Amino acid sequence: MTENPPILKVENVSKNFGGVQALSNVSFELERGKILGLVGDNGAGKSTLLKIIAGNLQPSSGKIYLDGEEVHFNSPADAMKKGIAITYDFMGLVDCAKVWENFFMGRELARRLGFFSVLDIKEMKRITAEAIARYGYKLDVDREVESLSGDERQIIAVTRAVEFQPKLLLLDEAFTMLSVDGRAEVIEFLKEVNKQSGISMIVVSHDLDLVKELSHYIMVLRAGEKVFFGKNEDISVDEIIEYMLP
Amino acid sequence: MSSRSNSAILPTRAWQYHTWFLFVLVYIIMCAFIPTLFSGVTLLNVAIQGTTVTLLAIGMAFVMLVGEIDLSNAAIAAFAPMMAALAIEKVDLPVPLALLLMVLIGVGIGAFNGLLITRVKVPSLVQTITTQWMLLGILLFITRGHAKTGLPKAWMWPGRAFVGPLPVLFFLFVAIVVFAVFFATRTVTGKRIYLVGGSREACRAMGIPVDKVITISFILSGLFATLAGYLLSTRMGFISPKFASEWLMPAIAAPVIAGVSLTGGRGNLVNVVAGAYLVQVIVIIVTAGGVGGYAYQFIQGLLVFVALLVDVARKRFMKE
Repeated sequence: MTENPPILKVENVSKNFGGVQALSNVSFELERGKILGLVGDNGAGKSTLLKIIAGNLQPSSGKIYLDGEEVHFNSPADAMKKGIAITYDFMGLVDCAKVWENFFMGRELARRLGFFSVLDIKEMKRITAEAIARYGYKLDVDREVESLSGDERQIIAVTRAVEFQPKLLLLDEAFTMLSVDGRAEVIEFLKEVNKQSGISMIVVSHDLDLVKELSHYIMVLRAGEKVFFGKNEDISVDEIIEYMLP
Repeated sequence: MSSRSNSAILPTRAWQYHTWFLFVLVYIIMCAFIPTLFSGVTLLNVAIQGTTVTLLAIGMAFVMLVGEIDLSNAAIAAFAPMMAALAIEKVDLPVPLALLLMVLIGVGIGAFNGLLITRVKVPSLVQTITTQWMLLGILLFITRGHAKTGLPKAWMWPGRAFVGPLPVLFFLFVAIVVFAVFFATRTVTGKRIYLVGGSREACRAMGIPVDKVITISFILSGLFATLAGYLLSTRMGFISPKFASEWLMPAIAAPVIAGVSLTGGRGNLVNVVAGAYLVQVIVIIVTAGGVGGYAYQFIQGLLVFVALLVDVARKRFMKE
C-alpha cells in the first residue's frame, strides 16, 4: 500500500433483501489506479455490491470510504458527484436519442439565459466527437444510438464514463453485447485508459478470461461472502472456478 | 457515416417536417372540393381557429414525450380562465392580476397531476381523467352549464385588437409556439423531457431527476392549456364549460398525427403545429359538410383511432 489512502475501502458491508442475505460482511480495499475483477456465480452478490458502491442500493450495515472519506450515497447522482461512474449491463443509453445527447446525459453543457439553462449543442457535439476519436473510433455524433452496433454502443457507454474523469469506474457486465473483435478493442481501450489517466476500476463479468486479462486484483464472491481477494498472478482461472463453486 | 433518411424522395432535413407536407397536401386536395378554402379570408380564419388546438396539442405533446397522457388538458383550458373571469366579476380583481391567477391555477393543476403521478404512482390516465371530472364538476356546479360572457375589454384585447388583418392573439400564439419549440430543443429541461421518455431507467442511472422532469411536463401541459383557453375566450367573447369536452380529442389526435410517440422520447413540436392545423382543417371540413353533433363525436373518435394506427405503422416502418 502507498501512503495515500486506498481509492475505495469497503468495511463489513452487508445487505439483506427481506430474509435473504445478499452480502455478508464484505471488506476489501482497492489501491489507487488499479483494476479489480469481481467474479462469482449468479446470485453471489457482485451486482448488489456494485450497486451499493454506485448509490443504487444502500447497505444494511457497514461502511464505505472513497479516497479516505466515509461516504453515504442515497442515489446514483450522489455517487456521481463524488466521482463514481458506472456503466450497466443495459449500458444506460437512450436508444431514440443521438450519440451526443447520450454522451452528455445528466451533465449537459449549458449557459444561463434568465430562467433557462440553454444547451451549448455545438460544443457538446465537438467534445463527443473528439472523445470518441481520441480512442481511435469514428462515429457520426448525430446518429441515433438505436442505429449503432453493440460494439459502438459499448464504446459510447465506456467513453462517456471515462471522459468525465471519475475517481472510480464501475463496469457491470459491460461486455455482454460485444463481438469478438469489439471485446478485444474494449479491453485494449480500458487498459489504455487505466494506464493514461490512472482511473481505478471494478469490473464485474462472467467472462473469466476477460477478467484475468484486464485486472490487477481479483475478488471472488460466493453466496454473498468474500472467498478470495488477491493479485491476478496469484490465481488461475481454474482456481477462480474452484472458489466460485459451492 | 452519414445519417440515414426515411425517404428516398425527400432529403433528411425536409423529411423531419413530414407533417407539414401532409397538411399542405390535404389542404390542396380539399380545395378541389371546397374552393372557398383557398380564399384569403378562409386561410386567415383557419390560421386563427387553429391556434386553440395547437396550444392544447403542444401541452399534450410535452406530456406524451415523457410517455404519459393528460386527459385533463382541455378541462384546464376551460377551468383556469373561468375561475379568473369569475374572480374579476365577484371580487373586482384587476385583469392583469386575474390573468396571473389564471396562469397559477393552470400551472397548479398541472403540478397537482404531476406530483400524484410521480409521488403516489397513480397512472396518468387515471389521475388526469379524475382531474378532468373534478374540474368539469366544479365548472358545471358554479356555472350551471352556462357560458361566461361579459368579459372585460382588457381581457378581450388580444382577440379584438388587430395588426393588419390578424388579431393580436395570433402574434401571441406565434410567440408562445416559438417559446415552446425553443424550450423543447434548446434547454436542458426540454432535452431531458425527451430523454426521460426514451428510457427512465437510463436517466435515473445517469442522475437525471426523472420524477421532477415528468412533473414539469404536466406543469407545461397545464400552462399551455390555460393559454389555449384564454386566447380562445378572447376570440369567442365567452368561456364555456363545453371547451372541456370539445377540445380533448383534437388535442390528443394532433400530436399523434404529428409523430409524437405515445410511448415517449420522440416528437417534433414544429410538426405538432402542422398536426394541429391538419386536425383543425378536418374539423372545418366536417362542419362545412353539415355533419351534426352526434356524428361529429364519432368523427373525432375516428380521427384519434386513425392517428393511433399511423403511430403503430410508423414504429413498424422504423424497425424495418
